[in-house]
Amino acid sequence: MRKRINRTVKRRDFLKLGGGVLAGAALSKYLPRTVGQSGAVVEAAGFSQVAATPADIHLVGTDGWIYLPGEIAIPGTVNQFYLPDDFAPPGLTAYMFGFRDVTGLTNDQVFAQKMKCQATAPLFWVDEGQEYRLKLTNVGLAMRPDLIDEHTVHWHGFRNAWPIFDGEPHSSVRVPIGRSLTYFYQPFHPGTYMYHCHVEETEHVHMGMTGSVFVRPAQNGNAYTYNGKTYHKFAYNDGDGSTGYDREYVINLTDFWAEAHWADSHVQLPDWTNFNAEIFMMNGRVYPDTLAPNGGVDGNPFNLNDANGDAVAPVGRPELQYQPLTSLIEVNAGETVLLRFINLSFSKQSMTVPGLKMRVVGTDATPLRGTTGADHSYDTHTIHIGSGGTFDAIFTAPENVTSVKTYLLYNRNFNRLHNAGAAGYGGQMTEIRVHPAGTLKAQSDPNTAELA
Amino acid sequence: MNKTARLKPTRRSFILGLTLAMVALAFIAYNVIQVAADGPVAAPATGIVCTENASSTFTLTAKEGYISMADGNQIYMWGLAEGRDDFQYPGPVLCVNQHDTVTIVLHNTLIEDTSLVFPGQVDVLANGGPMEPQFDGQGNLTSLTEVATANGGSVTYKFVVNEPGTYIYQSGTNPGIQTQMGLWGALVVRPSMGPDYAYNDATTQFNADSEYMMMLSEIDPLLHQAIERGESFNMNDYNARYFLINGRTFPDTLAPNNANWLPGQPYSSLSHIYPYHPVDYPLPALDRFIGMGVEGYPFHPHAFNAQIIARDGRLLQTPLGQDLYEERFSLPINPGQTSDALYAWTDTYKWNPDAAPGDADEFPVEIPNQQNLPPGLFYGSPFLGNQDVVPVAGHSFNQCGEFYHIAHNHNLQQITGWGVVLIGQITFTRIDPPLPNNCP
Repeated sequence: MRKRINRTVKRRDFLKLGGGVLAGAALSKYLPRTVGQSGAVVEAAGFSQVAATPADIHLVGTDGWIYLPGEIAIPGTVNQFYLPDDFAPPGLTAYMFGFRDVTGLTNDQVFAQKMKCQATAPLFWVDEGQEYRLKLTNVGLAMRPDLIDEHTVHWHGFRNAWPIFDGEPHSSVRVPIGRSLTYFYQPFHPGTYMYHCHVEETEHVHMGMTGSVFVRPAQNGNAYTYNGKTYHKFAYNDGDGSTGYDREYVINLTDFWAEAHWADSHVQLPDWTNFNAEIFMMNGRVYPDTLAPNGGVDGNPFNLNDANGDAVAPVGRPELQYQPLTSLIEVNAGETVLLRFINLSFSKQSMTVPGLKMRVVGTDATPLRGTTGADHSYDTHTIHIGSGGTFDAIFTAPENVTSVKTYLLYNRNFNRLHNAGAAGYGGQMTEIRVHPAGTLKAQSDPNTAELA
Repeated sequence: MNKTARLKPTRRSFILGLTLAMVALAFIAYNVIQVAADGPVAAPATGIVCTENASSTFTLTAKEGYISMADGNQIYMWGLAEGRDDFQYPGPVLCVNQHDTVTIVLHNTLIEDTSLVFPGQVDVLANGGPMEPQFDGQGNLTSLTEVATANGGSVTYKFVVNEPGTYIYQSGTNPGIQTQMGLWGALVVRPSMGPDYAYNDATTQFNADSEYMMMLSEIDPLLHQAIERGESFNMNDYNARYFLINGRTFPDTLAPNNANWLPGQPYSSLSHIYPYHPVDYPLPALDRFIGMGVEGYPFHPHAFNAQIIARDGRLLQTPLGQDLYEERFSLPINPGQTSDALYAWTDTYKWNPDAAPGDADEFPVEIPNQQNLPPGLFYGSPFLGNQDVVPVAGHSFNQCGEFYHIAHNHNLQQITGWGVVLIGQITFTRIDPPLPNNCP
C-alpha cells in the first residue's frame, strides 16, 4: 500500500528559511514571556500571533444570521414570533453562532466577519498522516456584547487526542475574544468526523458552531477493482476496493429550536430540558433550499470569500449568503457515490432513500469489519444515526439513464419533514439526480458537480 | 404544556447555575484529591464496586430515600438496599461467577407491591416455581412477575447464570413508575476464564484496575414529587429533567466511590487509566454500559473510540468465531440494553516540553500562554506529566500533569439539568503519565 503524506511546511522548515528567525527574535523581544515548570519558554499569543508555521485553515468564531423559512409563534402572544426573529436584518430570519473560513484574509478583514458566521461551519478534509493546522480566532458576538464567551474547536472522534488540541474547556484552554489558538491534527484513522465548539456546548453547538471534517485514506490514488469497477478514491483502507466511490457528498444534520435562538438574540436563556426542535436542516439549509447551488466564487464553496472577505451568495439566492453548501447530489448513470452522514442535532435521525440501496461501510470513522476482517457492512435504504455519530454509506446510480432521473433522500421521521409546520415538504430532504453517462465531469471536491 | 408554565431562566440564574457548578466542581476535585491522597477506605476511589459473596445469595430491600442533584435539588426515590443497609441508588452492583446459582430475596418496605425481573436470564424461579406474569381475577395484568407485597412482603428469585456479561435487574411491577423511582441495578456475570475477562474469549481481557459501570438513567422530578405526595402521575406528562451516570449528576459523577457527602449515591464514574504500553500497560479498560432511559442516549467518549464487544451479555461474533466488534465514538446506549466496551488511549505524538527546535518531538504549534488563553480546571500543561505555573489568581486541580478527557451524552440538552447547564450525563477519563510518575 502506498502511503501518501502531504506535508505542510513544518516550523523548522520555516525557521531554516530565515524569515522565522527574525520573526521569532522580534517576538521574543517584545512579547511577555512566562516560564513553565518544565523550563519551557511560553510565548504570549495575542490575536496578532505570528505563527511559525502557517495554518492550513483559519476560522473565526462569531455570530450571524441565516435564512430559514416559516413562522414559529411565541406561545401566548399575538403576532410575536420566535421565527422570523424580529431583530433579523432584511431577508434573514434566524440568529446563529458559527464559524467562517477566513484563510488568507487580512487582519481587518478577519475581524470584519463578526456577525457573518455561516451554517454549517466550513467543511474541510485531511489526508491520513498529514500534518494539519487549524487556527481559530474569536472575534466576538455582535448581537451580544454582554457575552464574553470563549470558543474552541473540538474535532469530534479524533483518536488519541491530546487535550490541548481537543477543545474541551475543562481539560484544555479556551480562546477568548480577540485571541487565537492554533490546533494541530495528524490523523491516522480515515473516515467521517465532525467538529464543533465545546465551550458552553449545549448552547454553542445548538446555535450552529457545527461543521464537517473527514480523513482520506492512504490507499487513495491506488487502483482497486471491485464489482467490475475500478476506483481511485476510497472511504477506508479496505485493500479490495469495496469502499471505492466516484463522488462524495457530506450530509450534515442539525436541528433548530426557535425559542433557543430567539432567546440568545433577546438576552434570554431557555431551559434546555424543554428542548423541542421544530426545524431540521441538512448542511445548514431546509428543503427545497437544500437544492440551491453552492455559494462562493464561481459556485465554489471552498473559495467562498470575495475581495473584501465577505461570503459570496449562491447565484440568485442572496438570502443563502451564509448557508453556502448544497445538498443536491448529482451523479452520472452507473457511478458510485459515498454519502458521509453526520448528525449534530440533539436526537436520532432516520435518513432514507427509497429506490436505491445504500451499503453502510463505516460508522464513526471505522470500517464495518471486525478486528480480524469479518465484514459486517450491510445493505439498507434507511440509516438510523444518533447524535454525534457518522455513517459512511455507498450507493451506485442505475445504468442506462437517458434523461435525468430523480430520487429523494429524506428523514423518515415525518414529523421533521416540514418547514416550521407550514404545508408542503421541507426540512431534512434533498434530491439525488442521476444524469445520462458523461453529463458531469469527474468530481474535484465534495458536494460539487460540474457539467462536462 | 409545561413549557408555557415555566418562567424563562434569566442570564443571572444561568450565571448562578454556572457558578454553582464550578464551585461544586472545585469541591469534588478537592475531595477526589483528598481521598486519593488518604488512600481508599472500603472501596477504591474509582472503578466498579461489586456486591458479592461466596454463595451468590443477596437480600435486597426496597425502601425510600433521597438523592442530591448538582443544582442543589433533592429527589425522593425508591431504591434497593443490600440487606439492612441504607437506601442507595442505583441498586447494588451484584457480581457473580458464570454457572453460579444466584438467589435474590426481595423485601418490600414500600407502600405498593414490587418485584424484580432479570432480562437476559432464563428459567428464573420465583418462590420455587417458574416466574410468571401475574393477573387479577378479571384477567388484568397486575405485575410482570411474582411480587413482594407492600409493607413487609418478600419474594425469592433463583436462577443459574449460564452466560457471562452485563445485565440489568429491574422492577417488574408498575415498572414505568418503579424503575423511574429507582428500583433497578446491575448484575455482572464473570466468565469462567477469570475476572479480568469480560467473556470467555482472549480478546475480551481488560485491566482489572480499570473496570467501570456506566449506568445511564434520568429523572422527572415531578413524577417523584407526585409519588412522594402520594398522588398519581400521568405518564403522558413524563419529561425527564435530570440525566445521571451511576445515579449521580456532573460533577458529582467524579467524586469517589462511597463519598460521604453523597449518601445514597455510592458509585463514581471517573475513569482512571494510563497510556497504552505493550509491556507496562497492555490491556484496555472496560466500560459496562446500561441504558435505563426511555429513549437511547448517544454516549460520546473523547479521544478514543470505544470498542463495543458485546450487547445484552452476548459477544458480537460470527458463527465461526470471528469478532464483529464495533468501534464507536457515539455509542448507542438504548433503553433496557447493556453494552460492554473496551478502550485505551495511546500516546501517538509524544511531544516533549524539553525538545530542541527541529526535534521530532517538538510541540507542533506555538505553546499557548495561559495569560491569554484561559485554562480549564483540569488542565496542567500541553504535555503529559508536566504542569505549567498556574496564572495569578487562577487555580487548577491538575495533580501531576495528568490528562483528562470528557465523556458525555451527545444529546446535549441532556448534559443540562432543569435549567442549569453542565450538570447532566458527563464524566471524565483521567490519563496518568506512565509510571513511575509524580502522581499521588
